Amino acid sequence: MGRRRRPVDPAAGARAGALPEAIAALSQSLPSGPSPEIFRRAKFDRPEATPALWQLLFRVLAPLPLDNRLASLAPEVQARLVKSALRSQGYPRLALAQLPEDGSQGSRELLLALSWLLARGPVLEQMLAQTRVPLGDEMTVCQCEALASPGPPAPQVRAEDPVDVRHVQWLMGKLRFRWRQLVSSQQEQCTLLSKIHLYTSGCHGDHSLGHLSVAEAEMLRDPEGGQQVRWELPRNLDLAYPKGLHFSWTPGMGPRTFWKDLYQACCWVTGGSLGSWWDSACSLLSPLRALLRTLECENRRLEAVLAWRRTELVFWRWMDTVLDTCVLGVPAAASQGTFLPQIPECSGGVLELVAWELRALQEELQEAAEHRRAAWEAKAGGCGRGPEWSAVRRASREAVEKELGALRRCWEQDRDPAQPHVPHRLVRREDGAAGDRDLRAAEVIRTLRSQEACLEAVLHQLQGQCRQELARLAGALPGLIWIPPPGR
Amino acid sequence: MLPRDCSRRLMAELQGALDACAERQLQLEQSLRVCRRLLQAWEPTETRASEPPPGPETNEEDPSPACAPSPQDLKELEFLTQALEKAVRVRRSITMAGETDKAPSLKSRSTVAPPGAIAFAPPQTPGQAGGHASDTRPTKGSCQTTVPPKGHSERQLLSLGDKTRVRTGARAPRPGPGLRDQQMAPSAAPKAPKAFTLKEKGHLLRLPAAFRKMASQNASLWAQLSSMQTSDSTDATAAKTQFLQNMQTASGGPQPRLSAQEVEAETGRLWKACTLLRLRMREELSAAPMDWMQEYRCLLTLEGLQAMVGQCLHRLQELRAAVAEQPPRPCPMGRPPRASPSCGGGADPAWSPQLLVYSSAQELQTLAALRLRVAMLDQQIHLEKVLLEEEVGGLERRRTQG
Repeated sequence: MGRRRRPVDPAAGARAGALPEAIAALSQSLPSGPSPEIFRRAKFDRPEATPALWQLLFRVLAPLPLDNRLASLAPEVQARLVKSALRSQGYPRLALAQLPEDGSQGSRELLLALSWLLARGPVLEQMLAQTRVPLGDEMTVCQCEALASPGPPAPQVRAEDPVDVRHVQWLMGKLRFRWRQLVSSQQEQCTLLSKIHLYTSGCHGDHSLGHLSVAEAEMLRDPEGGQQVRWELPRNLDLAYPKGLHFSWTPGMGPRTFWKDLYQACCWVTGGSLGSWWDSACSLLSPLRALLRTLECENRRLEAVLAWRRTELVFWRWMDTVLDTCVLGVPAAASQGTFLPQIPECSGGVLELVAWELRALQEELQEAAEHRRAAWEAKAGGCGRGPEWSAVRRASREAVEKELGALRRCWEQDRDPAQPHVPHRLVRREDGAAGDRDLRAAEVIRTLRSQEACLEAVLHQLQGQCRQELARLAGALPGLIWIPPPGR
Repeated sequence: MLPRDCSRRLMAELQGALDACAERQLQLEQSLRVCRRLLQAWEPTETRASEPPPGPETNEEDPSPACAPSPQDLKELEFLTQALEKAVRVRRSITMAGETDKAPSLKSRSTVAPPGAIAFAPPQTPGQAGGHASDTRPTKGSCQTTVPPKGHSERQLLSLGDKTRVRTGARAPRPGPGLRDQQMAPSAAPKAPKAFTLKEKGHLLRLPAAFRKMASQNASLWAQLSSMQTSDSTDATAAKTQFLQNMQTASGGPQPRLSAQEVEAETGRLWKACTLLRLRMREELSAAPMDWMQEYRCLLTLEGLQAMVGQCLHRLQELRAAVAEQPPRPCPMGRPPRASPSCGGGADPAWSPQLLVYSSAQELQTLAALRLRVAMLDQQIHLEKVLLEEEVGGLERRRTQG
């Protein structure tokens, strides 16, 4: 143990036994978590603990679900991605950036990085929530992540062919058509879902739910998946869970079917040995049993996380001591060099756009406000300036300030109280009664309607701006054909 | 023609949007297939006797590793079926003599089910020990109620039937309701009569006990996790904050600068602010003031909005300065930034799955349709933004180039 700079906590001795417990809970709650031994070795910066910690950090930082592409990356590449991810999150220690990527040293630094991540946010819960096996028919109300274009655009070097305006217009028409298709399929899905819920009402053991979900009914109908012709990768299983309503997948991966979730969950559990294990397991276990196994694993991990939450205090005190033992090397600040490939991302572009928008808005407001002020002065100049008048003015001012304050909170607040991002389980009830934490469809509809109105306004405004800009610049550049924005 | 660099990004975005739509359509169709199949009559599944089970997994709970019924078992089965048929006949004669209220149900059972085999599909769960009555109900066949035990001998026959079925059962035990009664049928009796439909018999379904136990455990654990989250121990939080601070000071690096994520998040917020402010301005300008007080408030609001825009611009300048001096490299593993103007965003306080309660099919349809509409508008806005960015940027570049 290194020399401590802080006075020894008198009660620490009494809690000494709690540390192994805490570390054990932590290691059990992490997916394919490293053994508690690794943590201890890392404190002493033993090299053998390094590869496991690199892998763990990669797991924690990588966007879920871990598809084949990411999982099969070489350890060096994974290490590089970890460094980059930590940097982009603002990890303060420079020593990490200088670690060799071959996993030969640096386990203590990695341990510190892991603890840093754990301290900043509910990482364990988030990971569990992402790999949770959904048993019900789930719907995420807000789909802001669902429609992000899949990953960074592949650098298809077709820059040689000039793009025809008509091609773009054709693509836009195609997109409109696809949306219409989606809408009609969605409507049918809702009717069917509603029927299934209705017909199975009264079945569920849990009375707050009342009826079966499609996944549960499917499990009853065909618990062995016997109607499969072949056991292929879960993607092709016909026991697809109605994720059509649940769109919270991350860009770049395939449809999240019920069984694919199982697959992912099993992979997490088994430490990521993909492919052949699953195939052979599939031929052995019925889907029902596979599900039960996965649930069991999830329950165990949940218990581990709960244990961790109870005992984590000891861990944080211990981490302070680990930090103490680190030699305070002073890395040259200039050595931040470009060890990462420069990604030609136009993150500055968005800032510019926002700046442009804000400036335009400011001009408009200035004009409008001055105009109104002048009109007001002219009108109200004649009114008396009695105490009654000033009281009224004060009242108005306060009311306006309150309104504007509420408006400001709309964008400053990070949390939406309605929690639209969490997937919710659909439950049909005749009376529509719901608990406090549950959402009611009627309310959600109201919120969505107002969102719709807001978005329509924004869209119209954007389209107008587009037209204006193009007209302006087309004037400046002769011979330029401009695409009329798709009319609605 | 579009300028090349402009077109590339637009095309990529369009293609991405098309692909995303196609994926969703695929998913929807898959789940539609599942739902339609559920609502039709449930077909009896064939036994999977074709593939013998390798490995130890299945044999844990399976009392016997036999995959195909041996000839002796089949014979026993036939014998058993005959015995059951006889029992039905006996019972029918008894009930006809006696209880009138039971008669219709028996009669219906017997008319619907040819002698014995299916009518006596006892609701047992094979694979679990012996013939103890389980709480799962038959989901196939015609029994509306569990067979009232009429005689000791019958009971014995029933339990015997279980054991036989267990032995000749599928290679994987089925901790589910007795759907596989058909296995008894092929050798002895004609096919199952009325197929099972969700519409008529759906409310009889019961989930397997093992599953229910797991699921309720799962739900309660998640609930515990959520409640623990909200009532977070202050000691632990203090310790964490302390640790983070120590990390910061011990790092020996420069003062904390804005990370790429923070810049993104901040930019998104400013974008949202801009949109909301603009909308509010529109509202105020379009409202016709009734009296001078309203007019005054309108004026104050506009001036207040103006001040807020000024603050936002100021914040933006600060961001720009921070970005310029140390360009935060965006992480290739992160998600592409999408600041939707209407979205709340941010961390989720609760982990346990919450309910979304609806009361009718129409309501659900409206909800889903609106959801799609919002998503579509979001996408359109994004495309317009891309177009605008590319136009403004690309054409400006062209102009400066000459």
